Amino acid sequence: MSQDAEWEPKILGFLCRWCSYAGADLAGTSRKKYPPNVRIIKIPCSGRVDPLLILKALRMGFDGVLVSGCHPGDCHYQTGNYRARRRIAITKKFLEYIGVEPQRVQASWVSASEGDKWSQVVADVTREIKEIGPNNLFADE
Amino acid sequence: MYRRKRKILSGDNMKKIKKKDIGKLLSKWQADFTVFTPSRATGVARMEEWDGKDTDFLTWYRNTVIPPKNNILPNMEAMFRFQKDEAGYQLEPVTPEQKQIIFGIRPCDARALTIIDMVFKDTYEDRYYLTRRQNTVLVGLGCTNPYESCFCTSLGIHPAQSADVDLMLTDIGNELLIEEITDKGKELLGKSSGLTDASSNDEDSAKQSRETAYQKVTRKLDTTGIADKLQASFEDKDFWEKVAAKCITCGICTFLCPTCYCFDINDEISKGSGARFRNWDSCSFSLYTKMPAENPREEKWQRVRQKVCHKYEFYPRLFDTIACTGCGRCIRFCPVNWDITQTLESVPEHSAV
Amino acid sequence: MNDIESKLRTEARNLLEQGKVNAIIGFAPGSLKFTTTPLITGDKEDTDRLVINPFIANNLSVFLHEIEGPVGIVAKGCDARSIVSLIQDNQLAREDVFILGIPCPGVIDLRKVEKLVGRDRDEIDDITRDNDRVTVAVGGENKEFSITEVLRDDCLSCESPAPKEYDLLLGEDNVVVGDRELSRSHIRELESLPPAERWEFWKNEFSRCIRCYACRQVCPACFCERCFVEESEPQWISPLPRWQDNLVFQATRVIHVAGRCVDCGECERACPVNIPLRSLTGKMDEIVEELFGYKAGTDKDAPPLMTAYVPEEAEDFIR
Repeated sequence: MSQDAEWEPKILGFLCRWCSYAGADLAGTSRKKYPPNVRIIKIPCSGRVDPLLILKALRMGFDGVLVSGCHPGDCHYQTGNYRARRRIAITKKFLEYIGVEPQRVQASWVSASEGDKWSQVVADVTREIKEIGPNNLFADE
Repeated sequence: MYRRKRKILSGDNMKKIKKKDIGKLLSKWQADFTVFTPSRATGVARMEEWDGKDTDFLTWYRNTVIPPKNNILPNMEAMFRFQKDEAGYQLEPVTPEQKQIIFGIRPCDARALTIIDMVFKDTYEDRYYLTRRQNTVLVGLGCTNPYESCFCTSLGIHPAQSADVDLMLTDIGNELLIEEITDKGKELLGKSSGLTDASSNDEDSAKQSRETAYQKVTRKLDTTGIADKLQASFEDKDFWEKVAAKCITCGICTFLCPTCYCFDINDEISKGSGARFRNWDSCSFSLYTKMPAENPREEKWQRVRQKVCHKYEFYPRLFDTIACTGCGRCIRFCPVNWDITQTLESVPEHSAV
Repeated sequence: MNDIESKLRTEARNLLEQGKVNAIIGFAPGSLKFTTTPLITGDKEDTDRLVINPFIANNLSVFLHEIEGPVGIVAKGCDARSIVSLIQDNQLAREDVFILGIPCPGVIDLRKVEKLVGRDRDEIDDITRDNDRVTVAVGGENKEFSITEVLRDDCLSCESPAPKEYDLLLGEDNVVVGDRELSRSHIRELESLPPAERWEFWKNEFSRCIRCYACRQVCPACFCERCFVEESEPQWISPLPRWQDNLVFQATRVIHVAGRCVDCGECERACPVNIPLRSLTGKMDEIVEELFGYKAGTDKDAPPLMTAYVPEEAEDFIR
């Protein structure tokens, strides 16, 4: 990271391959302009996301984690996103309790046709995390 | 049974120090050494770097939770670092350099170091352990208040006497009697201040104090023929299953044990640079002996059997000493109150194999 | 020997004699003062060693998965909830366990007693309870305390001290529910701190974690055959005891057992380095109740919390 550039957050995105990943792809083919800060990992379903993955991402130094899946009712595997919803809900609250800034764990429902929404989500999330600064939670003194 | 001959170098010229002057002595030593004393500052009793003023530990200290082996064989240590460059990997060994004093180590924990020295000096010399050992001066402090879980006396260890330390201190009320045990200890005494000569009265008080401590160790274990008994019972699955039934296979007993020394090795690498570490491992863990083809100790009774036999049969056959010093931490901290003395006492008599 | 004890010994012996169970899991006197130890036996003569006293700390349900059923098990309120939770998770069949329910007036926290009298437990002569007073005989004196000063924190917040699920209840279900807020006072304290200070607190606590995994091993909710820390392909977290990884381990563990953890407090009791783990599990307990109205181990027919869902559920945190 060059010292003269302004700090840019590195955000890890877990995108379900049926909805959100396709939506992100659509944003690309539609040539939407939006920040490049989210690094995407394609997963079969948002229900794949074990809270362990969120914690590991923060441990590795990512400034934020974004989990994105199908809208409730539209999950390709019927119920995966419902599981994700519950897991992210408790993870967010718990991490906030132990002192992690709540903005670092984000979630969204983005369908395959919502290229627009995807670009907006990324812009909003990037801005929010930029405001709270880099993740120094696990830095050694 | 291993016994180390006791040498007293100073003979009739013993020293003593007032307890309230201990701070001055530790300060003097701090000039040349990192001084470790018993401390509860981190939330658990362990040997910590002396903060420069606290001597209150003399009032509450019975024994630490984390054994002093942690200062010689740390819970985690880097072995070497590496860096990738055009020529390949450059290795930089890590050498423990710190000269340290462990002040207040108990005879059980000091004997434990003597016991595990043997394995680190065997076929292969472990430079990390041995360098730290070499760089460490042990200032022993005799017990006055053993725990109900202590059974050092059954293993030939005296709670208030030790030949495994460099200096040995005995509590004689407001003062501590100091005996030189080794040359290293003598050298340290030369760098001391605030000491006065001890009288024969002081030596009598010390004898009394030691005897009282000895009598206070009430837990007893008969180790006669234990190695043979264990060997004969090795295949007694029923016995070992019963013994192991309540064990939950955590690592508390092994990590808090001053004579346990197993470690795991982990490499960490990130963007071409990293280090090799070693950290404590436990034979109680289910994956301890897992190999690609099989896990010979998959069942918990096999692991419990291993742990008991290692300490009371295998190690004695190899190194002529039981690998247990009766410190009692395993009994005190086991979440299910699994008690090695009860296990050993119940080993059945089988005809010799 | 008290009334419940004699009833228990008789019932346990009968169960074994009649072949209704293969084994009995209960408490026997420990080898240290004020300690009990799990007794796991198929021998009916051993049932004479069963005890019930203020020191029956362990959550015995942790042993159920390794014993061929049916098994008779002594269960306090919290233990019975763990059993229900295991049934919900299909780790146990209801018919494989015969629950000997003990209406539990609370377990005494020896660490609290030690702190109050300023002596270690082996220097104390006696600890006796008479309803809501506890007398500690130490150094020739008798010191009296109220039960709320010496009971384990999780007992203070226990809402079902007598098991709701049982085969036999050995006593009257009239035990008094404790003071929830008192038992959660440390959590409230932490919540009053700004986030950065909270993080500093936990960073400090986890600096002394030695990764003995006792917290995980005593926990009945941690029944995974292979824990995430034991994976090496990929290695999710480092096995090295750095505070960062110790903290990630525990935080992940607590999140993983959400909805299964009955707040029995064993993790905190087992921890040899005094990390206040209940200030994590207790909070998760609260989160789960706040978000989903769920209390672990109260309904054996309910789907487990994290596999259940309601199509319409709060999602204000999702864009």
